[in-house]
Amino acid sequence: MLVIQDVSKNYGNFTALKDINLEFSAGVYGLLAPNGAGKTTLIKMLVTLISPSKGEILYNGTNITNFDEEYRDILGYLPQQFGYYKHYTPKKYLMYLAALKGIDKKVAHDRITELLKKVALSDVANKKMRKFSGGMIQRVGIAQALLNDPKILILDEPTAGLDPKERARFRQLLTELSRERLIIISTHIVSDIESIANEVVMIKNQELLYMDSVENICHTLEGSIYETSIANEELESFRKNHVLLSEKQERGSMLVRFVHKGSPEPEWTLKSPHLEDVFLFEYRDDLSLDV
Amino acid sequence: MAMRISLYESKKALTSPIILFLLVLFTVYNIFLIYNSSDFKKELHIANDIAKNYGLDITDESLLKLENDMQEDLSYLNEITSEKVGQTFTSSGEFFTNLRFEDQETYTEEQLNSFYDLYVKEMYLGTAKGIDDSYNKIDIATLGEDGIRSYGLTGSAADTLRKQFEVFEDRFEQMKANAEHKEWFFAGKMYFMHSLLFKSLFLSIILESIILIVLSTALITNYEFENRTQLVTFATKRGRRLMGDKLSASLIVSTFLSVFLLGSSLFIYFIVYDYSHLWGSSISSAFNWEYQFPYVSWWDMSLLTFLIWSIALFYACMLLFAGATFVISVLIKNSYFTFFVFAAIFAILFLLQGFMPKSSNLLFAAGFNLSSLALNPHQWFMASKGLLIFKYYEWITVLVWMVFITVFIILVIKHFKKREIV
Ligand SMILES: Nc1ncnc2c1ncn2[C@@H]1O[C@H](COP(=O)(O)OP(=O)(O)OP(=O)(O)O)[C@@H](O)[C@H]1O
Ligand SMILES: [Mg+2]
Repeated sequence: MLVIQDVSKNYGNFTALKDINLEFSAGVYGLLAPNGAGKTTLIKMLVTLISPSKGEILYNGTNITNFDEEYRDILGYLPQQFGYYKHYTPKKYLMYLAALKGIDKKVAHDRITELLKKVALSDVANKKMRKFSGGMIQRVGIAQALLNDPKILILDEPTAGLDPKERARFRQLLTELSRERLIIISTHIVSDIESIANEVVMIKNQELLYMDSVENICHTLEGSIYETSIANEELESFRKNHVLLSEKQERGSMLVRFVHKGSPEPEWTLKSPHLEDVFLFEYRDDLSLDV
Repeated sequence: MAMRISLYESKKALTSPIILFLLVLFTVYNIFLIYNSSDFKKELHIANDIAKNYGLDITDESLLKLENDMQEDLSYLNEITSEKVGQTFTSSGEFFTNLRFEDQETYTEEQLNSFYDLYVKEMYLGTAKGIDDSYNKIDIATLGEDGIRSYGLTGSAADTLRKQFEVFEDRFEQMKANAEHKEWFFAGKMYFMHSLLFKSLFLSIILESIILIVLSTALITNYEFENRTQLVTFATKRGRRLMGDKLSASLIVSTFLSVFLLGSSLFIYFIVYDYSHLWGSSISSAFNWEYQFPYVSWWDMSLLTFLIWSIALFYACMLLFAGATFVISVLIKNSYFTFFVFAAIFAILFLLQGFMPKSSNLLFAAGFNLSSLALNPHQWFMASKGLLIFKYYEWITVLVWMVFITVFIILVIKHFKKREIV
């Protein structure tokens, strides 16, 4: 059990995270928040690369810094920017990381062959990584995180750079791995975790917003999501009065999805909320530039 | 596991093209340096021959024997000259003074060579006979006063130097009493063999090793930050302890590089220059006199002992430079800046003595630094080295800096354990 207790993190005067309390047991956790919300900051604290300015992180009751090697031994981590030696082959690089992870040479050799197969890189196991595509590198990163068969797997935006086919394959891999393991995945792409996360953690304004199942989080907008068709000219005024979640061109008019609390107009259709709706609604200020 | 990791880290430097390229370049340069001086030294074997036939020690007896044998050589010379030009000479020196260019044809190459050998022997004999005279002329106390004047020392600095020259004088007298100076060696004023080996070659190797060691230590230490792999590597089980492995790797690589450079050069050097009968000769030999003053070591040392101690001191310095680079690298996190910061500190330390007041003992203290030590290899263990005259100069410098650098290493490793890795 991994517990984050009253953790705050400051970078100089800037507060990146404030009074975060979280508890993780086995299962898949999605860390869902927009850019700059502090996902990477939280993850770097979980993998002991940085330490909290306040509060502590405990694994089975012991501070992870004191646990030291023993803690990192059960840890698999894929950073957001996965660094690699360009002139190394995946095999050579993984052999090196296996040594850092304290894995016996022979064991490592077999394990690497197996993992490279799992991430579909067997063909290029002995090719220098210099010429690899972003998706291939990301898969080397995933293989690396799994080298020591970690009890805790922490992935920071693992699907970045993967094409849709690879994303699907990756979700499948995670489902396979999720038994008996704690997996934390950060992302700002809802679909990455919507179907596989047992619980979703959302951070807003440096603080914890939700830590709950997808269903329960969606429930917070139950009865407030509507869709309706409006004329193209009406869009601007509609946008002023409602929180728009999405808009779609449809036979000369505009189909809009929006949040409304209070009594609805008769022509609106009530919809059941999706995680995406909550995400767009909660972060509407942060995301206003994107929408 | 630690060893396996250290080897992985070592490999990063030892497979680096720039380091391998420099290693080859430096080795080639050293070989060039060795061969380049060999042309002028055809008669080097004579010192060996003399030591072989008459023993290393210069005694009245052995000199007499040498002189007798040379008399025979001279008769041979006169036999030929009287036959060819109807002349005889009292020495080969005289023969060569009177030899006109066009007459050279008269003699075979072989004959001229044997005459020249005799000429060189005459030179050795002359020097050997004059040892007592030359050494009696040396007055260490006056030398000390000259030093004080030329450095412009006053106050306690002058007192210190004067006192050191007194210690030196004792050693000088003891050296004479031991007859350490009365041993055959290559004539310094002709061949400058001590300078060739311990100044040109050693100094080149020292500078080359420093360059390679600084580059490779900085490379190993900063490798993760420069390849942006720090988030992966320092979050593994090994974690920040990896920095300790990088230190071991730096020392391993430094050992390899310095041993390779020095080993290959010395190997070739001793193939090109034959020392076979002179290994046991004292480093304070009267023949080991190249400039105004002969080399006089603080201890009774043979050439071989001196060489071995020099190699040991060289290696100690190299490890210390690796340690110092490690400290700078961890703090600076960038190879290029590390290189420049190292170079700046190295230069400042070397120049430090020049900025010290000429009246204070700080002047001497400032000389106890690794730069001054490393840049004077031909003076190692020698008594006559200006403001660095102290008997235990090498030992103190190495020990003090070993303590310094070790403390710094412990501090930066501790600091790194807590550092944020972003
Ligand atoms: N080393 C640092 N020094 C100063 N500020 C930092 C540092 N690292 C992160 N920040 C700031 O902290 C905030 C959170 O950054 P963080 O990288 O944790 O966000 P994130 O959720 O991972 O974003 P993204 O989705 O873009 O990866 C940002 O405003 C960022 O600018
Ligand atoms: Mg991030």
